[in-house]
Amino acid sequence: MSIDLQDIQGNIVKGYAQYDYPKARYVFYHIRNEVAGRAFVKGIAPLVTTGIPWNKKAKPNAADAPPPATTNIAFTYMGLKMLGVPRKSLQTFPEEFVMGMKLRKDILGDDGPSDPRHWDRIWRDTSVHLWISINGRDPASIETRYQEISHLVAESDGGIIQLSGHHGPDGSTDLPYQSASLIYKNGIPQAREHFGYRDGIGEPYFMASSGHPNRVIGGGKPTRGDPATRKGWEPLETGEFILGHRDEAFETPIAPQPPLLAFNGTFMVYRKLHENVGSFNRYLDTVGENYPGGKELLAAKFSGRWRSSGAPVTRFPTNATAETFEFQLNEAEARLYAERENPSKEAKEAYVALRTQMAAFDYNHDLEGSRCPLGAHIRRINPRGALEHGKEAFNTPGALTNRRRILRRGLPYGEVADDSRDDGDHGIIFIAINASISRQFEFVQQQWINYGNDFKLANDKDPLTGNHGVDSNQQPTGRMILQGNSTATENPFFCAGIPRFVETRGGDYFFIPSLTALHMLSNGTVDPT
Amino acid sequence: MMDIIRVLVTGLLRRWYDNLRNLLTGTRPPAGAAGLTVLCPIINDSDGNQSHVMALRQHLQDLPLHENSPMAAVPNTYLCRFYILNDVFYQGAPAEEEHLKSKYLVYSTNFHGDLDSYLSGMWEHAQESIRQVWRHCVAFENVRTTADFVAYMKKCQVRNHLFFNGSTGDPLNRQLKSLYLKQEFSRFVYDHQNTPPEDLQRAFQAFIARTQPGNPDSPTWVAGADTESIKT
Repeated sequence: MSIDLQDIQGNIVKGYAQYDYPKARYVFYHIRNEVAGRAFVKGIAPLVTTGIPWNKKAKPNAADAPPPATTNIAFTYMGLKMLGVPRKSLQTFPEEFVMGMKLRKDILGDDGPSDPRHWDRIWRDTSVHLWISINGRDPASIETRYQEISHLVAESDGGIIQLSGHHGPDGSTDLPYQSASLIYKNGIPQAREHFGYRDGIGEPYFMASSGHPNRVIGGGKPTRGDPATRKGWEPLETGEFILGHRDEAFETPIAPQPPLLAFNGTFMVYRKLHENVGSFNRYLDTVGENYPGGKELLAAKFSGRWRSSGAPVTRFPTNATAETFEFQLNEAEARLYAERENPSKEAKEAYVALRTQMAAFDYNHDLEGSRCPLGAHIRRINPRGALEHGKEAFNTPGALTNRRRILRRGLPYGEVADDSRDDGDHGIIFIAINASISRQFEFVQQQWINYGNDFKLANDKDPLTGNHGVDSNQQPTGRMILQGNSTATENPFFCAGIPRFVETRGGDYFFIPSLTALHMLSNGTVDPT
Repeated sequence: MMDIIRVLVTGLLRRWYDNLRNLLTGTRPPAGAAGLTVLCPIINDSDGNQSHVMALRQHLQDLPLHENSPMAAVPNTYLCRFYILNDVFYQGAPAEEEHLKSKYLVYSTNFHGDLDSYLSGMWEHAQESIRQVWRHCVAFENVRTTADFVAYMKKCQVRNHLFFNGSTGDPLNRQLKSLYLKQEFSRFVYDHQNTPPEDLQRAFQAFIARTQPGNPDSPTWVAGADTESIKT
């Protein structure tokens, strides 16, 4: 069935960073009264970026021309309540959304330094009702759009309050918004996070996805075909990511009422994740010295991908193979960047072919984890059929994973001033989009990141993002096994004392309405009877 | 449902027993009344920054209600509603997932008189509003004359037998006048309890002079009103 992409907010179907929007500003608001709230939403609605496919060659003001800055909007449960959504409708929203992220800390593992007590002030002292994101090509475009929105806030005459309280560099604790940006190297934006890993590679591909059809390879759900080809994958059902459409259970997902409020909408997770760069580098240096493969292979085993190229370690198991791949990828990317205004077919195809290799794999030839460890980050968050453990136990190899996929829409924030230190304000603004926060995001976080039983790894956590604890002597207790191979030419290696590399600094759960629902919210015409 | 339905009610449940019997045995409009349901395919394309279906839905949601509804100006409309049929409902496996080829604007009305006169009256009394609604529908740009409109609507007509028996088959102005008189008379009764006979007769003559029972057009209720709204 075709989907009305003009009714869907653009951030659901597009990762803006991949469309040359390397910078973002996330702004949060509090609604003081219903009338002002609805008027504000009405003012924002015409600015909202939809999912319509962009045509780079369109005239600047055409409907399908990429805008200088994008705008999207989402609401917390309290935000919907403040807009006057009737109680009968509010009662149909899922429990985790009603509770909000703070109260879900036990499920999310937000303990110790990640406890909400230590979050940025905006998440501790205020009540966030509304989220607006502006993604832009450059800071000026973002600022222009931000001023337009600030003008609407001023017009509300105190009915809408922009919430400050974001922490920033140099100890500031009262910034008016959260900035985020791809990290730049030699003036070129890099798809990379602060630990040095290439990021944003694995992206679920579903029926309403835009982009090259080859993205189904590795992005779709596994069949029993060859994972290196399109035969090995099928698009996921749209209902996993957008409400009102068929999902992987072959039904329409449970959704808030009335149906028109939920149709073409979805749920979003916003999390500010600090990265302890100093601890990470120290651990790699110290343990990498004893690890036979060296520091870079250790980093690759943690993630499942080589840091600099993003090449999957299960497909490119040695430094030599990974370096060859990286060389080709760098050349293809440089060419594409040079031709970015009008890329040639050859440049695009060369890039797509390499890009496809980064995703075109499963773990059927690596069931023991001798190449990509069973506990590696990318193998945990998307096991790609590996949970069958080679037994063909289900009708489809994706039976245990197809309902746990999430779209990621975040960007890095901050800058690392001293890579030997943990402090400062830098990390990832993690944004996940899914039809069910509890079934998808929370499950992955609780069972696959902070626990290991599904991978037969007892209570080992994700080495990179797990909430590793400390013992009574305040010594870190994280562990990971790097499996050896069965011919005993390579022995298993045991990583112990892994500290917590990633800490939560705030966030909440949001509802992203369709454009139709936004109109209903702004008119106060949500009627669940 | 009210958010998608624009209802214009002009009848009371008179002869309710007959109506209930009709409802149970298969409804047939009372003499003089008729029903119409049309399904008009909505253009599957953009209308500026929105799709046609979104733009139409917003337009319908923003239409004024009751006596301010543009459809209140259409002669002899007992009630009418607009809604958008997005798709058929999918109940989940093992049911087959099926989809409509198009999204539809559904217009459903009960009225007095014959279909051609009603549709002609609709075009003549609400042409601009109709264009604003139907411009989102396939091929409506070819509709220019009354005859075009009647033909278009008939082409989209769904032959069904679901008539909401909410009134007699009388012309609308007579029904509105009856409702007006009934309400005025009950008010008269309450106001004149224990009035001496001579005074009562004088008052009643004044009542008749004021309410003009023989004049169906004035004073009377305003078409579409959901609360008392009298036209003189």
